Amino acid sequence: MLQVQQIKAGYQGRDVLHNISFTLHSGECLAVIGPNGCGKTTLLKVIAQLLPYRGTVELQGVELKQLKPKAVAKEIAMLSQIPSIYFSYSVEETVMMGRYLHMANTFWAMPTPKDKAVVQRCLEAVGLWEVRDQEISHLSGGQLQRVFLARTLAQEPRIILLDEPTNHLDLKYQVEMLVYLQAWVQEGSRAIIGVWHDINLALRLSHTMLVLKEGHTQAYGAVDDILSGDLLNRTYDIDVAGFMQESLRYWQERK
Amino acid sequence: MANKLTLLVLLAVVAITLGVALGSVYLPLQDILSIVAHKLWGGNLPPHIRPTAVSILWTLRLPRTFLAFTAGAALSVSGVVMQSVLRNPLASSYTLGVSSGASLGACIVILYGMTRPLLGNLTLPLVGFLGGLATILLTMGMASRLDRQMENHTIILVGMVFSLFVNAMTTMLSALSGEQLQRLYYWQMGSFAMKDWSTVATLAAVLLLGGLIVLRYHRELDMMTFGEEQARSMGVDLQKVKWILLITGAALTGSTVAFCGVIGFVDLVAPHIVRRLFGASHRWVVPLSGIFGGAFMVICDLAARTLTSPHELPVGAVTAFLGAPFFAWIYFRRRTFS
Repeated sequence: MLQVQQIKAGYQGRDVLHNISFTLHSGECLAVIGPNGCGKTTLLKVIAQLLPYRGTVELQGVELKQLKPKAVAKEIAMLSQIPSIYFSYSVEETVMMGRYLHMANTFWAMPTPKDKAVVQRCLEAVGLWEVRDQEISHLSGGQLQRVFLARTLAQEPRIILLDEPTNHLDLKYQVEMLVYLQAWVQEGSRAIIGVWHDINLALRLSHTMLVLKEGHTQAYGAVDDILSGDLLNRTYDIDVAGFMQESLRYWQERK
Repeated sequence: MANKLTLLVLLAVVAITLGVALGSVYLPLQDILSIVAHKLWGGNLPPHIRPTAVSILWTLRLPRTFLAFTAGAALSVSGVVMQSVLRNPLASSYTLGVSSGASLGACIVILYGMTRPLLGNLTLPLVGFLGGLATILLTMGMASRLDRQMENHTIILVGMVFSLFVNAMTTMLSALSGEQLQRLYYWQMGSFAMKDWSTVATLAAVLLLGGLIVLRYHRELDMMTFGEEQARSMGVDLQKVKWILLITGAALTGSTVAFCGVIGFVDLVAPHIVRRLFGASHRWVVPLSGIFGGAFMVICDLAARTLTSPHELPVGAVTAFLGAPFFAWIYFRRRTFS
């Protein structure tokens, strides 16, 4: 579905990513993990065509650089970290922006019944239909996160890029979001690339994993094949497995 | 929504009516309507209306009031563009150096009497507009060379540098201008006095065209308020749309500055109040800011010419007098909030 080959990209002439390559198949969830500053978000920006790069990013054999922004957005949507809100729109207006690329390119085009139905479906999926008329500046961080997830879904893309999507969510909504995304990716020709800090959440959703360190691929493959305590220790420079075992022991003792 | 909309349109109608009726000579509403009907469709005037009243209304008050309304609307629509594109509630054409460029262009025409036979009275506004446009092109060109992604903070910083530089040139020219200094000073403070219908028609045409272009991109403006990456990931062709909107905003401000002088703060105040009353959707913010800004400017002009009558205050001083505390209120409210 998506082929990423020999990607080099960065900021102000300094490469952050060095020769990153991977393939994403239909129905697949790929987790990108690694310490802060390893280039996870930069990789998502490259795939979403938000950052110049060297190398190739091909969707069904077509280089994405050749496509216009609307054509890219039809295929790939990105859920970034929550932006600053300068001007406050209603929840429904914000999610309707995800329908921009599907609307007629005319002077005063109004949302069609289909646009409205898609927005309602997406807001119901994230549990915010009841507050659709509220201004987004009055929402909590978790609610805002879900508004932007609904907007991403409203684009009806084939690939969703998630940049630490559970940052502001409580445990209930983290689990609900994972369940929803697992179901979403199974419908039709779809895939997800997620950047995660929480390895447990990454494991829950993902089939494959790309481990980055200092912009280089540390490991790439099926989760079961590559994930090991040693790999995580080398990536994060701490004893990850030991830390998790300690946490587990604590909870067992509390029981 | 419908009530607020009716109230806003009513405010504009009342402001225009007051602007036309009040002044050194009071003109009753019935007389105003009779004179307008006489001028537009012919027919006899009621005998009590003197020719001087007709002259005051048709050659002084009406063009002046409509010019104030059009200028206020053009500046406000430009303010909407600058604030939303640059995601900065305090951004304006002044931030990008447009007003400074227009001011310098017009200053050169005034000082050196560059009126050309072909252009006639249009020389001043045209050169002013070109000055404003040149400044924004230089700002955008420099910003794109420094930063391929044309991030907003780069544009604002480069704009401020150009603005300061061009202002310095205008100040130096003014200091050397001798007997033209007072004329230049009053022009820079802004005025709608002694303008004819052709000025109103020209600025109205610029406002109509510019306003329609901005309205065409109302959805893109909505998305751009969330940031450039967000807008691009939703499919907005940011490089193209940003250029079109900023140049249109520059044309609206540049033309207004050239015709009427530098009038600040209306482009800051009007979009804020409209967003507060009607929400942030640009489908409404663009046209309603135009109406509100126009009405606000008519009221400021009325105050400028009546408060200290028979002396007239520069309208730019009145808008600044009202706008500066508002600016401070926005700034400190935001700081408290954050």
